[in-house]
Amino acid sequence: MGPLIPNGILTNEWNIIIAVLIGLAFGFILEASGFSSSRKLAGVFYGYDFAVLKVFFTAAVVSVIGLYYMDYLGWIDMGMLYVHPTYLWAAIIGGAIMGVGFVAGGFCPGTSLCAVAIGKLDAWVYVFGIMLGVFIFSEAYSVLEGLYNGSFLGNITLVDSFDIPANYIIFGVTIIALVAFFVSDIVRKRIKKVFY
Amino acid sequence: MINRNLAKILAKRYIILASLLLIAALGLVLLPAYQKNEHVTAEDLLAKVVNPERYVTSDDLAHKIIAKDPSILLIDLRDEEEYADYTLAGALNIPFDAILNADYEAYLNQGQYDVVLFSNDDFKADQAWLILTRLDYKNLHVLKGGINGWYNTILNPPEPTENMAKEAFERYDFRKAAAMYFGVGIKAQDNEQQLNRTPKKVVVPVMKKKKRKPEGGC
Repeated sequence: MGPLIPNGILTNEWNIIIAVLIGLAFGFILEASGFSSSRKLAGVFYGYDFAVLKVFFTAAVVSVIGLYYMDYLGWIDMGMLYVHPTYLWAAIIGGAIMGVGFVAGGFCPGTSLCAVAIGKLDAWVYVFGIMLGVFIFSEAYSVLEGLYNGSFLGNITLVDSFDIPANYIIFGVTIIALVAFFVSDIVRKRIKKVFY
Repeated sequence: MINRNLAKILAKRYIILASLLLIAALGLVLLPAYQKNEHVTAEDLLAKVVNPERYVTSDDLAHKIIAKDPSILLIDLRDEEEYADYTLAGALNIPFDAILNADYEAYLNQGQYDVVLFSNDDFKADQAWLILTRLDYKNLHVLKGGINGWYNTILNPPEPTENMAKEAFERYDFRKAAAMYFGVGIKAQDNEQQLNRTPKKVVVPVMKKKKRKPEGGC
């Protein structure tokens, strides 16, 4: 049956409508759960609040388990889903830069826009920084092009890299998630409470 | 009013949710193995099989060959000997047994040409069409009647009787002219030339399938 749009159950025009609706819901949930506070996000790195880790890890695990059950029931064809291409070194270096920005600014790109919407000044500065970064990257593209397009591994997933069935990888990731939740709770209890 | 039992259960809500997640993931591991149908679903394939749009009549094909239509790619599915004996102008030889050969994939799995499959009749060509459609190859067509149909309609058309419609006579005229074009009734050296032609070299530019890049992030 699914995915709905490639299989012609919904027309292409629905693409943008569904995207806008999901975006609205996503932004609302981020704001409602307090993710538009840079202190909450920075809490992961200082050890006083692990909500971000828990929320995103749970979201990933729940959706992948759900998708594979739906695949088993024939509701969705996993083979038709888009897999983001892997550019290994670009991903590693870009991830490191994003991580530094995450700790220093206390936002990730999505939550910064949420915070802009509710008028936080630090988020305005953060988004300006993103724009500046985009500008610098565009100007320096000729220098960075080799890195940007290099070490291309194709549209691979862990299933292709390790040659283990997807079910076992999902089970493993679920275990890792649960252990991470458990450990993060212990850490949070030992760290002095921060009020924000 | 505090419901003590509910409070007791709620105190353990994270443990309960974590166990649910673990059970769901474990269930995924324990699911029995199953055969997945890739590319085309059974319903789609059936809809394509019963659809006669894949057939190209020999008249249409003759028109296209005479007009030197650059968009068609003729694939002769018979074996090499039969191909050497007679084939359609500009046809490539991919024997039926070799259609899944990786060397020929670029010819069959592409979006630039309308591939016309043919063999002696349309039975083998239909089989090949089914196999390739199952792999989700596009733009595949089958010559109705195959080479035999080609011979019976274009090269040696039956003369229409007096009581037939005007269109039948027009078609007969076209077929006679087409047969002339394909070398029927031209003897000796012309015929020789016709037989010694080399199949055109078809270069299929391999295009990478573009995928739309979705924007992502948290």
